[in-house]
Amino acid sequence: MGKKQKELLKVENLKTHFMIEEQKAKAVDGLDFSVLKGEFFGIVGESGCGKSVTALSVLRLIPDPPGKISNGKVFFRDRNLLELDWEEMRKIRGNEISMIFQEPMTSLNPVFTIGVQIMEPLMIHRNMGKKEARETAIKMLQRVGISSPERRVDDYPHQFSGGMRQRAMIAIALSCDPGLLIADEPTTALDVTIQAQILELMTEIKNKRKESAIILITHDLAVIAETCDRVMVMYCGKIQEVASTINLFENPLHPYTKGLMESIPSLTKKKKRLITIPGNVPGILNFPPGCPFHPRCSYRMPVCEKVVPELLEVEKDHLVRCHLYNGEGKNQ
Amino acid sequence: MNKVRKSFLSPLFIKRIKKFKSFKRGYYSLLIIGIAYLLSFFAEFIINGNALLVNFDGKKFITLYSDVSFKKYIFSKAIKTKEDYYEYRSSLGSDTVNLSDEKLIYLKSEYELYDRIKKDFDNHSVLRNIFDEQKRGDWVLLAPYPYGPNENLLDELGDRNPPTGPDGKNFLGTDDRGRDVFARLVYGFRIYMTFSLLLTLASYAIGILFGAILGYYGGKVDFLGLRFIEIWASIPFLFTVMVISSIMIPNFTILIVILSLFYWIAMARYIRAEFLREKSNDYVQAAMAVGVSDRRIILFHILPNSLTPVISFLPFTIISGIAVLASLDFLGFGLPEPTPSWGQLLSQGISNLSSWWLTFSPMAAMFVTLILIAFIGEAVREALDPKVYSRMK
Repeated sequence: MGKKQKELLKVENLKTHFMIEEQKAKAVDGLDFSVLKGEFFGIVGESGCGKSVTALSVLRLIPDPPGKISNGKVFFRDRNLLELDWEEMRKIRGNEISMIFQEPMTSLNPVFTIGVQIMEPLMIHRNMGKKEARETAIKMLQRVGISSPERRVDDYPHQFSGGMRQRAMIAIALSCDPGLLIADEPTTALDVTIQAQILELMTEIKNKRKESAIILITHDLAVIAETCDRVMVMYCGKIQEVASTINLFENPLHPYTKGLMESIPSLTKKKKRLITIPGNVPGILNFPPGCPFHPRCSYRMPVCEKVVPELLEVEKDHLVRCHLYNGEGKNQ
Repeated sequence: MNKVRKSFLSPLFIKRIKKFKSFKRGYYSLLIIGIAYLLSFFAEFIINGNALLVNFDGKKFITLYSDVSFKKYIFSKAIKTKEDYYEYRSSLGSDTVNLSDEKLIYLKSEYELYDRIKKDFDNHSVLRNIFDEQKRGDWVLLAPYPYGPNENLLDELGDRNPPTGPDGKNFLGTDDRGRDVFARLVYGFRIYMTFSLLLTLASYAIGILFGAILGYYGGKVDFLGLRFIEIWASIPFLFTVMVISSIMIPNFTILIVILSLFYWIAMARYIRAEFLREKSNDYVQAAMAVGVSDRRIILFHILPNSLTPVISFLPFTIISGIAVLASLDFLGFGLPEPTPSWGQLLSQGISNLSSWWLTFSPMAAMFVTLILIAFIGEAVREALDPKVYSRMK
């Protein structure tokens, strides 16, 4: 019971499908996870594994058509977001759940000043007047570390550098003090030094706000290791492994996770060649039957080609979806 | 770090204005058309059949737009002096009237004066003669070009039959009803420009709204909307306007409403395309994620980013607005008589082929206006063009 109270977001059996050329693409296929209050939750996976679609599904921003959330429940503060009407949903977006997008270059509207764009959610959700919103916008810019915000607030996005734009995006996302912040690859488009600053900023924000949580979506394991408390590894629209960050890095169970870990270049160990996972991520329209990872898996067993493995709690709070840890798999 | 000068306009827009100014032809065309249109609102001061100001009996009457106040004064005065005269006359005794009674003579002259003015209160040349005769310090201020667009000049033409050719008095002659062609051209310019601007405004408003909704919502809305546009566009618009015009006499407003019902289609298509492209941009998704309502996204987020077709087509829509009004007037389905109209002048030119000025002057006016606007359009398009034409040396 104690755990349930601490849950901020609970996703149950979420399925988001896209209709592509009359075929159903299962971008997210039966996702169950929960994010606790005060947690920095990471979602990691290769391109096209459904990370971003998960985030967009939580906010119900899936373009329909072709996309459709066909099944599942998303509880946020014990309200099922998928059952809310559009107007209620609009009040949640940017107010209780907000999102930072991958491309700070294109996610800001080029025709408005930064200030106007930070003021917008404040005026919509907090019913602030222009003056008050402007003052808050200046404070927000200060908080995300933009120098001389009084002057910068009237700048246009093209007058900001990439890192500053991402900071402005974070300022927009945080302006209404949301309970949940979803950051969809916030550092991918930035160079490494700026990346470190942004991550530091996000960690700082998280430490200051105990009641809220951050979901960080990335394909960069280094970013995860640096910031997250708990990690979810996704592959082909399914959870493959969930564990605390320390646990995952020290004791990866799923062959896919292991493969990812091995592909990180190491400074300490001497290796001639970087180990890679053979093959490619399968196309979204033809996921292999059984375990979707089996064509690339070095631990492959006959059962993997036929049966989709269940997500099992192998250790405490360490879930994995693999036949290796399944009674069936061990028998063979 | 020097402070960037803040401006209401975005730097890009300022840059485009600068670029526009560098195209001299378009820039001067804009100046000419702009100033001419602005001046045309004060046309009454320059070209007017009425007197501008009448000073009479120590009172000043502004007769610029209407001479009602002057007319009222004259008529009441005429009645009053007549009454005074007869009253005094009867008070002198019915039979023997001393005609040399000074007061009687004075009253009679007064009464006769007002009676004369009453007959010709709207004819300033007669007024002027009377005022000069009386030497009472009364005067009439005339416009520099003292012929109105709807003023019948048959009296002044004397035994010449309209249409009369250009002469010193009527620069471009008179039309078949003896009205001054130059005055009609100038007033026609004002009407045509206003009509075309309002038509453009109305049709763009409809087109932008329709296109924005189609492009933004897409899917079924888009499909049904496009089919509607296709059906609507297949209605032959000139015939429809003619049919409507023959059922009811169209006025300025009705014509704008009818024409804008057909003129929005092209803009709707362009704006739809812009919205389809623009809505997939990240900032739209970002705005949605912040909880911005659909209406606000359409009007404040996407629309300012999709105004390129609006700006580049604007001058050409104005051109076609002028052309369509001219053709409707020419066919006799446009603005009702006696509105000063270029198209109507042209159709007079057809029936009076030997009077070259009736064809030439509206044609020249239209040619100059349209080509100036086309130059503006060309410069606007060039200014918005991001390409810089350069060559390797």
